[in-house]
Amino acid sequence: MAETVLSSGEKIFILHGIDADFRNDGRRRCEYRSMEIETKLMPQTHGSARLHIGNTDILVGIKVELDVPHADKPNEGKLEFFVDCSATATPAFEGKGGDDLATEISNVLTAAYQTRNAFDLKTLCILPHKKCWKIYVDVLILQCGGNLFDAVGIAVKAALNSTEIPKITAATLDGGEPDIELSDDSYDCIQLDTSNYPIIITLCKIGDNYIVDPTLEEEMCSTSSIVMSMLPNGKISSVVKLGYGSIQFNTFTKMLQMGEIIGLRLNKTLMDVLKEENQFGRQRRIFGFLK
Amino acid sequence: MPVDQRRINGPEVSVPYHIYSDFDEKSDKVKHDFSKRSDKRTNSEMRKIFLKIGIVSQAKGSAYIEMGNTKVVCSVFDPRELSNKNGYCTQGEIYCEFKFAPFSCQKRKIHQQNAEEKQYSLILQRTLEPAVCLHEFPNFQVDVYVMVLDNAGSSLAAAIMAASTALANAGVPMFGLVTASTIGIYGNHYLMDPTDTEEAICNTQPDKEDDFNHGIITLASLPQHNQISEVFLIGSIDTNTIKQATEMLTAANKDICPVLQQCLVKTIMKLHNEKK
Amino acid sequence: MDSQYKIIHPVKYLQDHLAQDVRPDGRQFLSFRSISVNISSITHADSSAIFKIGNTTIVCGIKAELAAPKAESPEYGYIVPNIELPPLCSPKFRPGPPSDQAQVVVKLIENILRNSAAIDLKDLCVFKGKLVWVLYCDLMCINYDGSIIDACIGALTATLNTLTLPETLYNIETGSVSVNYTKRLKFPIKALPVSVSFAIFNDQLLIADPTDDEESLCLGRLTIVMNEDKICCIHKPGGIPISQDLFLRSLTKCKKRAELIRSLIDAAVSTIKQEHLNE
Repeated sequence: MAETVLSSGEKIFILHGIDADFRNDGRRRCEYRSMEIETKLMPQTHGSARLHIGNTDILVGIKVELDVPHADKPNEGKLEFFVDCSATATPAFEGKGGDDLATEISNVLTAAYQTRNAFDLKTLCILPHKKCWKIYVDVLILQCGGNLFDAVGIAVKAALNSTEIPKITAATLDGGEPDIELSDDSYDCIQLDTSNYPIIITLCKIGDNYIVDPTLEEEMCSTSSIVMSMLPNGKISSVVKLGYGSIQFNTFTKMLQMGEIIGLRLNKTLMDVLKEENQFGRQRRIFGFLK
Repeated sequence: MPVDQRRINGPEVSVPYHIYSDFDEKSDKVKHDFSKRSDKRTNSEMRKIFLKIGIVSQAKGSAYIEMGNTKVVCSVFDPRELSNKNGYCTQGEIYCEFKFAPFSCQKRKIHQQNAEEKQYSLILQRTLEPAVCLHEFPNFQVDVYVMVLDNAGSSLAAAIMAASTALANAGVPMFGLVTASTIGIYGNHYLMDPTDTEEAICNTQPDKEDDFNHGIITLASLPQHNQISEVFLIGSIDTNTIKQATEMLTAANKDICPVLQQCLVKTIMKLHNEKK
Repeated sequence: MDSQYKIIHPVKYLQDHLAQDVRPDGRQFLSFRSISVNISSITHADSSAIFKIGNTTIVCGIKAELAAPKAESPEYGYIVPNIELPPLCSPKFRPGPPSDQAQVVVKLIENILRNSAAIDLKDLCVFKGKLVWVLYCDLMCINYDGSIIDACIGALTATLNTLTLPETLYNIETGSVSVNYTKRLKFPIKALPVSVSFAIFNDQLLIADPTDDEESLCLGRLTIVMNEDKICCIHKPGGIPISQDLFLRSLTKCKKRAELIRSLIDAAVSTIKQEHLNE
């Protein structure tokens, strides 16, 4: 990230390309790069996904643990996002360099999944006041080639979709102490209801236009972008502006509308692909990092 | 958790007494009456704003804002050179730190910044950046500290306004003032400038109603330039509702702007008269 | 011109003033700044006070929580004072863990609370060995302009004076707790310690209620804490020695000042009570 330096000439070239609806890599303004996604590639986790889009490479691992519910929300489980901007991605992330970006991404994820409409924390409760599931979502950014938010959003959704939580056969209170029995069959799992999980769409404002899925170079030409999370049922669960620029009110509403259309389409495509992958069953060959 | 040797520590676990409520709060929330608000406002009415400038004598610029029971203090300090940066920055930077006082919320806050406060700090920074002439102080950083003394809802909006007036008070070159307001959405109710209980209601979704709009939008804008400087939305809302709500917020932001301006002018006039 | 002089030659600026028998803010050597107390303005705290001495402003808020008592003292509750000197209040402070100064002040305040016996920790007991109150007293400095200890003690005592706790019952058989919000009981406070600070300059020059500038340039400091007409704490952290004569003078000054502060706090507390009655 730190290495990419653009001259003003290069910036103007990109800008003109976007004005003409013909970007440097031949895409149109509202076109995504092709993505590669693989789920359940890490057997040690409860759910995992790896996503490639352009040079961006994201790995998501999900761990599920038993925990005690918060005292003020006794019948809700917990969902936590942790993002690690590793220094392998870019030298700029060395030390504490990636912390701000990491906080930003995990905040957007938390906001996106906050509404009950998207993720109902009550489904994670086992025994009110005593036991609940806690889902840790760990996002590892291995390489960044622009459009981190969208990539992370898709990868997280895919990983959650692949998550298998052990089935609990009996949960009783024994003298005030919780007693929990897990199913003997390790394949006997429950899956999360991912039907209304959000995905994240970034609309990057460059010049007078806005584009989706910007590359690193394009991101550098932009002063402001809108990050929104879209639920499959057409609701928006979070919006936040990034960058140091401001946006006109009309542009803002137009960007939202465009984001809505793109979000719904992207979501449908993602779910279709995940379904297709799932049909291969457990015998599917895992490519992992060998590809 | 490791013990912090630099503070006096209480017991390892302690619980707020609010959780031992006699009545079920959840059922109370559902019954919330939307036809009238607890402070007798109409749904589109904002709380009265009280703004005072220059309350922190040690700071370069400062402001105190009160919106209903929400109380926020902000102070801005002299620019200082950017440290630990390799190379020269052609633009200045704004560093924001947002903190809730430990006693400001229903639940006691710990002394370290939590995730929410860190997020608000970043939002505050992005809100102010479009308003400040960053090119006027290259390689320098202006520190903005915000402390919420009492959070009775819309504290982010209050913090944004306090910060923008404090920056102006400190004499930091700016393109214009930033004003902000919050709206809570619950079904087809639009609650301007929600209180903390209203915020809590807007954050929850009633059972078995998927097609239900709920959420909170905070919008900061530069009314003098008709620009949006930051939007922060959380909840589950459809696009049309967002559009309608942001229109209301932009209008509100425009209305607030003269209040901030007048307050700044008054302070300057007072200073001027004293010098005479 | 005045402000430039102050920035370039802060020491000389102050000394020139002192040589003219006046302080930079126009006060006499032994006169104090005005005080204001504002009580119960923070809605989310169980009790709160804002205490101002001149520019110095301290906001104190108490949050009460419930916890199990220590095994060795089953009847005693906890009081956890904490002072925050955030970067907001002065350019002297940076973000991060509490500075040395904050640690010293909070320790001093804890000692004063304990020595003056202002509160009996047994009053915080809900059920012996099972449940006690924890009072988190957070002192937040909003404006740092000297005599911070005086303002902290003032804010803390004013806050403790107005503290009420909801009636709480612990059921020993079921181990359940019930809290009655509507019935709040006044927390008894036994004493009202008041602190007064002085700064000492060359030639045994005594200055009362120093500002931040004076504090940072002085050669010695002295804080006396009075409990009614008894001394409950004297804090003189290093610096040049103080003559006995001067010390006695500061004591008499302190007595008078303490009375004033106490009456101010009492007045503020009684107005609140009046308001409650009127409601």
